[in-house]
Amino acid sequence: MKALEVKNLSAFYGKIQVLWDVSFEVEEGEFVTIIGANGAGKTTLLKSISGLISNKKGTVTAFGKSIEQLSAAKIVRSHIGHVPEGRQLFHLMTVLENLESGADYLPHAKREAAKTKAYVYSLFPRLKEREKQLAGTLSGGERQMLAIGRALMTKPKLLLVDEPSLGLAPALTKTVFQALKTINQEGVTIVLVEQNVLQSLKAAQRAYVLENGEVVKSAEASSLLNDPEIQAAYLAI
Amino acid sequence: MDLTLLLQGILSGILASGLYALVSVGLALAIGVIGIVNFAHGEFFMVGAFLAYQLFISFGFDPVLSLFFVAPALFILGALIYRSSIQFVLKAPELNQMLLTFGIGIILQNLALVIWGGDPRSISNVPYRSIGYQVGGVSIGLVPLASFLISIFIVAGLYFVLLKTPLGRAMRAVAQNRTGASLVGLEVNRIYLLAFALSAALAGLGGVMIAVIQSPTPVVGFAFTLKAFAIVVLAGLGNIRGILGASLLVALAESLVATLVPDGDSLRNAVFFAIIFVVLIVRSRRQA
Ligand SMILES: Nc1ncnc2c1ncn2[C@@H]1O[C@H](COP(=O)(O)OP(=O)(O)O)[C@@H](O)[C@H]1O
Ligand SMILES: [Mg+2]
Repeated sequence: MKALEVKNLSAFYGKIQVLWDVSFEVEEGEFVTIIGANGAGKTTLLKSISGLISNKKGTVTAFGKSIEQLSAAKIVRSHIGHVPEGRQLFHLMTVLENLESGADYLPHAKREAAKTKAYVYSLFPRLKEREKQLAGTLSGGERQMLAIGRALMTKPKLLLVDEPSLGLAPALTKTVFQALKTINQEGVTIVLVEQNVLQSLKAAQRAYVLENGEVVKSAEASSLLNDPEIQAAYLAI
Repeated sequence: MDLTLLLQGILSGILASGLYALVSVGLALAIGVIGIVNFAHGEFFMVGAFLAYQLFISFGFDPVLSLFFVAPALFILGALIYRSSIQFVLKAPELNQMLLTFGIGIILQNLALVIWGGDPRSISNVPYRSIGYQVGGVSIGLVPLASFLISIFIVAGLYFVLLKTPLGRAMRAVAQNRTGASLVGLEVNRIYLLAFALSAALAGLGGVMIAVIQSPTPVVGFAFTLKAFAIVVLAGLGNIRGILGASLLVALAESLVATLVPDGDSLRNAVFFAIIFVVLIVRSRRQA
């Protein structure tokens, strides 16, 4: 089954159109990346899929179920997690409370909350050390880990990840990408949008290139690494 | 200085702070969770007062009993107003929101004037209204004491809900980050509805007490809106935990000026706003 099928998706901010007939597919278990320059529409694309944007046209099907009409709160119940741009954490709550809130409102996630939390801590031992600390006082890397952790607590089968490398030192970026790979290997389908093209092409199996709100290319991630156009535009080789 | 008078002023201030906290905490909840500045808050308070009055006149309900009717009634009124108007202006400019809530307040006030007229009404002939205790020259009325205790009990209950229950955590989550809240499965609009309705219910409960403590008219609401605003600003906009302390501070100042300053009773409202001016100026200087 396909984890995600996006067909002719257009999205708008007011009257301004930002996505133009975007279509792409993700097989269950895949790790797909969508790369594109700043302003290409990557964040808008993920927000349209997860229901944060409702002003859109086209269809979005996840695990065979049509979700483009649903609210964000319903879409997370369809096993789609979103690690959003800007992390969107609860800054006056502790790390632990942020994690728990990921599972609290979803019965299927709540039942396994203790297990998932242990898993998140095994991925990011740093979060366990900071368990009692307020999210607002964490460093950029820790916030990113927490945002991923909170999304995992919702028990997603498909995880949408928005620029996890933004503002992180290279070493931390590596940790975060490694964690995403591990999560994928445990069976979670991943859609990663990134400006950090080199890292994401290395982590993903397949890639789409988004330019000015349109998909202009799709290929195996490894072949894009050797694509002269991509190298010139995004890899600065 | 007359020590007894001073003690009396302090005691009256403490007792008044409970009701102030109860009314202000509802306003802070609406501001903190929904981000809506509700100028009709005092009118919810007024409606609570007149419902209690009507329940007393029509059915002989004791005000304490009325608390259990007024709270759900105001909860429903708040929910209806949220659904029919507030939810549509959440993304509108703040000025538009204020104008809307101000208008709602005027409508409620005028409806009350039509129904109950402009004369002061009060639940005067409950037997315990005149009971008071003398402690070393200082007098404590049973009604102010009971209203203080009930108010503090309700405010403590709200704190418990906010800090210790899933619903409370959901409200805090929505208050701190709407996007994050919807991504963990919360229907943000539903939480807003609950917060607004709860806010109205809290104001209504305060109204029941004012109907016994004073003899309110349908225009009593606006003064309480302003007082609640003053307290909310003092506590820090949307800071619910700070409400108790801020209420105590302004109630004490008000009461001390009223008892110790000659003709101080007419300065009550001025004291409130003098405090607010000082706080706002000091705060903005600190930030600058
Ligand atoms: N809230 C908004 N209102 C209007 N335009 C927006 C808004 N958010 C993003 N945009 C515009 O939409 C385009 C795509 O933005 P975005 O999806 O954030 O791109 P990316 O994530 O690829 O950097 C940009 O031109 C941006 O200016
Ligand atoms: Mg972006």
